[in-house]
Amino acid sequence: MKIISYKLPPRNQKMKFNRIYALVLRFYYLFRHSWDRIGDAFYWPTIDLMIWGLTSTFFKSFAPNAPQIILIVLSGHMFWLIVWRAQYEITVNLLEELWNRNMINIFVSPIKFSEWVTSFIIVGLSKAAMSFPFAMLVVYLAYKIEILFFSWYFVPIILLMFMTGWWVGFFVSGLILRFGTKVQTLAWTFAWLIGPFAAIYYPVSTLPGWAQTIALFVPASYVFEGAREIIYNGYTDPTKFYISFSINLVYLILSIAFLYSSFKKVLEKGLVKVY
Amino acid sequence: MDILTVTNLTKKFGKFTAVNNISFSLREGEILGLLGPNGAGKTTTIDILLGVTKPTSGKITIFNLPFEENRVQILKQMNFSAAYINLPWSLKVWENLYTFARLYEVDGFKEKVQKLMKEFKLYNLKDKPTDSLSSGQLTRLYLCKAFINNPRLLLLDEPTAFLDPDVADLMRKYILKEVKTKKTSILFTSHNMAEVTEICDRVIFLNRGKIIAKDTPINLAMRIKFCRVRLFFDEKKKNAEELLRNYKYIFSLEGKEIVVETEEEKVGQLLGRLSLAKLKYSQITIEKPTLEDFFIKIAREKI
Repeated sequence: MKIISYKLPPRNQKMKFNRIYALVLRFYYLFRHSWDRIGDAFYWPTIDLMIWGLTSTFFKSFAPNAPQIILIVLSGHMFWLIVWRAQYEITVNLLEELWNRNMINIFVSPIKFSEWVTSFIIVGLSKAAMSFPFAMLVVYLAYKIEILFFSWYFVPIILLMFMTGWWVGFFVSGLILRFGTKVQTLAWTFAWLIGPFAAIYYPVSTLPGWAQTIALFVPASYVFEGAREIIYNGYTDPTKFYISFSINLVYLILSIAFLYSSFKKVLEKGLVKVY
Repeated sequence: MDILTVTNLTKKFGKFTAVNNISFSLREGEILGLLGPNGAGKTTTIDILLGVTKPTSGKITIFNLPFEENRVQILKQMNFSAAYINLPWSLKVWENLYTFARLYEVDGFKEKVQKLMKEFKLYNLKDKPTDSLSSGQLTRLYLCKAFINNPRLLLLDEPTAFLDPDVADLMRKYILKEVKTKKTSILFTSHNMAEVTEICDRVIFLNRGKIIAKDTPINLAMRIKFCRVRLFFDEKKKNAEELLRNYKYIFSLEGKEIVVETEEEKVGQLLGRLSLAKLKYSQITIEKPTLEDFFIKIAREKI
């Protein structure tokens, strides 16, 4: 008689790379089959950069004393592209699971909540690693502008933009989990709600008083202010970046806590009922 | 050895009680049918056992471990398939299976996926996008995913719902083989009572969230006291109807047939009465009660 014995795998609280990689792979497979996603990564950023570049070239012809206008507008747009890309990958990938009715399959597997969240961050990073250099190339070829002009400031700027994108993405995902796909439009629009207060293309001082107060709580506004200072003066006070990092960190922790509480809330009514 | 133990499980959605204080267990290598009419609480029970719906109260132990505290460890050795859950549409068949094989950390996953695709007759479809598969092919893909990690505990919610009889039969044979060779324990729901009778060792009947019967499929069917006697009359059918009416039998007419519902032990008496009245039938069929009869009775709350 054949004796079959089983052993349970050891209990392990650590995140497992294999499981994170599985989810990253799932979105990579999706990306390579989806013209929609490829368009999001390359086509739309190119169109945006062309339109904004041509518009700012036109404005420059009226303002010969503002030679940096094209660099301000295009660098602002490119950095905002990182916020957009990071939040988009989190929210749309969540929506993708809901549209496909695949959430149950994911969460009846041994995946941990932290691994699921990490996979979204990695997917966002890798997509940005594809589309941002592409956008840099477009800007260089079309307008002879080098975004690497920002030198070492480039690193904190990129990091802070990612952080903003992540907390926006996690917050919107929390809302989608709570209210389902009827609020899915937030995945495309929510980042633009904070866009005006982030002062992407103009100084915070341009905003009306009440909006300037709101801008104080928008971490991206410090980054864009700093980036403009670098363009004008070649340097900026790093305090701006420290403030942005601190606010971003608080928002990131709160947004992940909100997403986690939304997930727990959803389990009350059943994950199968979310779509 | 019990693989799964459910104790006093209750789930309320507001004022509505979907699962009402149910307790049951599933032994190693056993196939347990979870049956009941629509809205009985089967899917809610399965969702709770999978950890995707939180119970209001009750205790679940899987592999002798409390489920809530050992979720990841336990889910590694469980799997699930249901007709109402999809896999990502735009991914190819092999891509979906590779993804889940990695998610379950299957050793030698490439070979495992190849083997399963062959066993589930999906190998020729491996490069097809999932959204191009027929409903039967999709069901096979979902089952293939369910067996990808050699689960010790498998929850199958109507797994053969869209399969044609031939493939459904192959799937049942595969499930039975897994149970026999690997001692897989299966919790199984289906509306196909013949299928449940064929593969389930025991059955639990749920109605309005409560367990109203637990037994083997045969024993449950035997709880129905009535059997059906189909009598085919070439002549004197009207006289036979009159006799049955006089003796207050429950019967219905189906063409030239009269279908009489009577207790199994009183079939002899019925036939004796027809004989005494010189009413000759040309054909007779006695249908014993089935699990389906039991299901219908429960759904209509006559038990």
